[in-house]
Amino acid sequence: MIQKSTTLTIDGAEVAFTEGETLYEVAQRARRPIPTLCYDPRLEPFGSCRLCVVQVEGVRNPVASCTTPAAAGMVVHTSTEAIEHHRTTLLELVVSENRQVDVDPLRGYASQELTTLVDRYQARTGRFAGAQSGTSHSEDDNPFILRDYDLCISCNRCVRVCAEREGDYAIAAGGRGFQKQITTEFDSILKDSSCTFCGQCVQTCPTGALADKKALRAADIEEPIEKTRSVCPYCGVGCAVDLMTKGEQLVGIQPAMDGPANEGALCVKGQFAFDFVQHRDRLKQPLVRGVDGQLHETDWDTALDRAAEGFRQVADKHGRHAIYGVASGRTPSEADYCMQKFIRRGYGTHYIDNCSRA
Amino acid sequence: MALAYRLLHMLKPNQTEASTAELIAHWQEKPAPLLGLLHALHDRDGYLSDESLRAVSEGLPIPLADLYATVTFYHHFARTPPGQRAPRVCTGPICSQRGARDVLHALDDAREMPCAGRCDHPSPVLVGQQVFTAASDATLTPIPSPLPPINPSAYEECLFAHIRDAGRHTMAGYRASGGYRGLEKALQKTPGDLLALLEESRLAGRGGAGFPTGQKWRAVSEATGSPKFVVCNADEGEPGCFKDRALLDHDLHALIEGMILAAYATGATSGFIYLRYEYPETLDRLETALEEARSDGLLGRQIGGKDFHFDLCIRRGAGAYICGEEGSLLNSLEGKHPYPRNRPPFPVTHGFNDCPTAVNNVETLAAVGPIVARGAEWYRNLGLGENAGTKLISLSGDVRRPGNYEVPLGLPLQTLLNDWAGGPLPGRQIQAVTMAGLSGGFLAEKDLEVTLDDPSIRACGSFLGAGGIMVFDDRRDMVDVAAQAMHFFADESCGKCFPCRIGTQRLSERLSGTDGPSAWTDWQSEVEDIGSAMASTSACGLGVAAPHITQSLLKYFPSQIQRHLANQQDLP
Ligand SMILES: Cc1cc2nc3c(=O)[nH]c(=O)nc-3n(C[C@H](O)[C@H](O)[C@H](O)COP(=O)(O)O)c2cc1C
Ligand code: SF4
Ligand code: SF4
Ligand code: SF4
Ligand code: FES
Repeated sequence: MIQKSTTLTIDGAEVAFTEGETLYEVAQRARRPIPTLCYDPRLEPFGSCRLCVVQVEGVRNPVASCTTPAAAGMVVHTSTEAIEHHRTTLLELVVSENRQVDVDPLRGYASQELTTLVDRYQARTGRFAGAQSGTSHSEDDNPFILRDYDLCISCNRCVRVCAEREGDYAIAAGGRGFQKQITTEFDSILKDSSCTFCGQCVQTCPTGALADKKALRAADIEEPIEKTRSVCPYCGVGCAVDLMTKGEQLVGIQPAMDGPANEGALCVKGQFAFDFVQHRDRLKQPLVRGVDGQLHETDWDTALDRAAEGFRQVADKHGRHAIYGVASGRTPSEADYCMQKFIRRGYGTHYIDNCSRA
Repeated sequence: MALAYRLLHMLKPNQTEASTAELIAHWQEKPAPLLGLLHALHDRDGYLSDESLRAVSEGLPIPLADLYATVTFYHHFARTPPGQRAPRVCTGPICSQRGARDVLHALDDAREMPCAGRCDHPSPVLVGQQVFTAASDATLTPIPSPLPPINPSAYEECLFAHIRDAGRHTMAGYRASGGYRGLEKALQKTPGDLLALLEESRLAGRGGAGFPTGQKWRAVSEATGSPKFVVCNADEGEPGCFKDRALLDHDLHALIEGMILAAYATGATSGFIYLRYEYPETLDRLETALEEARSDGLLGRQIGGKDFHFDLCIRRGAGAYICGEEGSLLNSLEGKHPYPRNRPPFPVTHGFNDCPTAVNNVETLAAVGPIVARGAEWYRNLGLGENAGTKLISLSGDVRRPGNYEVPLGLPLQTLLNDWAGGPLPGRQIQAVTMAGLSGGFLAEKDLEVTLDDPSIRACGSFLGAGGIMVFDDRRDMVDVAAQAMHFFADESCGKCFPCRIGTQRLSERLSGTDGPSAWTDWQSEVEDIGSAMASTSACGLGVAAPHITQSLLKYFPSQIQRHLANQQDLP
């Protein structure tokens, strides 16, 4: 199908667009700095924060650019004085409903979005004092996700990512109005819900209301956070991750939003199961069992000889099909290749599999 | 305790003893099953238990977290006993000035409910499936839904012309005074003829937004998707509005005729009536009328012997003002969380189940039969001056004869207040009236000279909306009235968009004095900034309209606000 391309005017410049694009998408291409809080490019536009409103000539009220389809000939103004004033008011309102705005960047990938905007609009004015919204779930003692809803601004990004990207539908927005509260079935703790602890809600949350508990263990370490791009070692999907380190210590993992296989998604293993990397129990030397029945450190040659000897005895005694190789889900493709070669050529059997096949 | 006991015995027996599995099997097969199923379980047990919700979640299916969250959205779904059996007392703007709070305290387990649409006979108390009227000593009497007062003028009525006829709510009574003649006439013509006739009549939506009905139906008829639907918006949640109630209770075949005509004009094959929870007896009356229409061949297959098939069913809301907003209503019908929808697309192309849908108010639909029967010109000429047609006005509060009136559009407000409704109570003066229920805010002073039509009212910064007008005389503290109004909007905000979710809360705090600055200039600047951000950026009409309250209060009653602020400063 050929996509019809037409043009509209944004802040005086004529911009081409493709049918189906929203005003926000067109404006982004035109490098107009429209603020957003409820927007996540991976999700269906929701239209709750209203910061992205723009004025379209001929339309009485401003429209939300994230939900409004671009139409030929529209004349759009993205930052009139009136609109900038409303944006400041909206941010002042948001600041007024929260315990705090500055949060540790360890909390999550998007956790600085609100802080950044509030600073850009100088919206820490102390206006609009009143009741605070959101009740934190301090009783939820799961080891991964902090549910600090005192900081929640009800943008629904967590709910939407859980439904649209993860397919878990574990969380939803209960109640209404100012009493709206992110909740689970029967307001249970996450462990008793259909949450799979993939952490995607944490990473899309623009306020740090949902936070990475494991990363926050390193909150008191002085050094700055450094991020190193890598690939999750656990399974064949190959999710791209950013390893967060402070000094020499691996303190947390964030998904790469531009990871080709995962686009910001991870599962519980890739997201939270990294403690083994620097764990004191981690094996650094091969061990072999001695005649005393105990494991003893040894060198690689000895260990490999012992293993080879074991395999040979089994094959001699029971035949080549008594050997069955299962490659680890954590091995890269090259190692998988070697593994199947080893089983096929070495033992002459096709009994070879991989645990991430399921 | 004695009173609660008596109440229990006044209740109708539980309608069903069916098992949860049977109810699920029954509703699974129906369109828009969720609300119907939840009500069946709620009616059976008096509340929605965890087990019921788990079974519904599996049966429909719908994710349990979504279901739980959606149940918590509605006022009237109880999760624990005494649940549905607990009396709900209207504490709307009118009832709360007529002793409703005393009633609330006198009844065991009683809970507040927002305006329940009986402002012409306060104060309604809902117990189970029955509406009672509470006297000041909290004795409850079942009182039928009041009829409109006799037409006090020489102007011809359209909608109320026969509503006071005995037996009008039955098929025989309706036919006796010319009912279904419009439908017969329309079926002789093409749907295109009907669309043209409606456009000529200049009938516009009576639910609040005033969109031309002919144009809306044409858009549905020309939309490519199928099947098509007609949805009657009978949610009537706007405080001070009770005109749909009168039609629904006393002239319900007019509504059904209007819906059949809508289906014929648009090509719709099924329809829904979305009825507010607070009108339980209306539900029974509607069910009976639908049966009558079915057995007369007016609903079902081959209506009028033509290749025209249409049937409709009723779904009951569960207590949420926002479900009167059409996008929210459609989400509610579909069993989704009832947030308003982003527009475009509009319901005319993407309505119920994303199919083309005409959503119309009760009053709009009920006008169509008479228009077809008597002609577009007749209807247009009912209005005064440039205005076409009539509008139902629900008038309540401090006037001698509150009630529903059918006015020609363009009638001076003062004529309605003084000549029709008898004017203020003895020795009193009218201080202010609301427009559009609460959504239009207040009119006062010289703006009480408006005529009842949108151009005139909009010039004063308000709008006619669904036609609820509440009257406040010189005894009333307008800041208190405004505070209660904003409290309503804050309670009913769906919570989706930031300006309304936080804005209604902050305005409510500032009006009631529980928070916010006490210096006048700071107060004014905060309230104005919040109001203008809400009016300009809210995602739906609730948040856009709510600041009419504060804007009009600032316009007419700045000294009353200053007095409140001064009193706050005097507090220790
Ligand atoms: C907050 C809100 C509440 C509304 N409540 C109602 C209602 O109770 N009944 C109604 O008919 N329309 C209501 N409307 C208007 C509907 O969205 C819609 O415009 C109307 O049902 C269309 O019918 P009409 O064209 O016949 O007026 C409401 C709108 C808003 C924003
Ligand atoms: S928890 Fe975070 S992502 Fe979820 S609604 Fe609140 S602020 Fe938004
Ligand atoms: S284990 Fe999880 S995070 Fe890691 S690559 Fe597989 S799916 Fe991605
Ligand atoms: S304006 Fe209010 S009711 Fe409407 S979508 Fe926003 S929060 Fe919901
Ligand atoms: S980004 Fe458009 S409303 Fe939030």
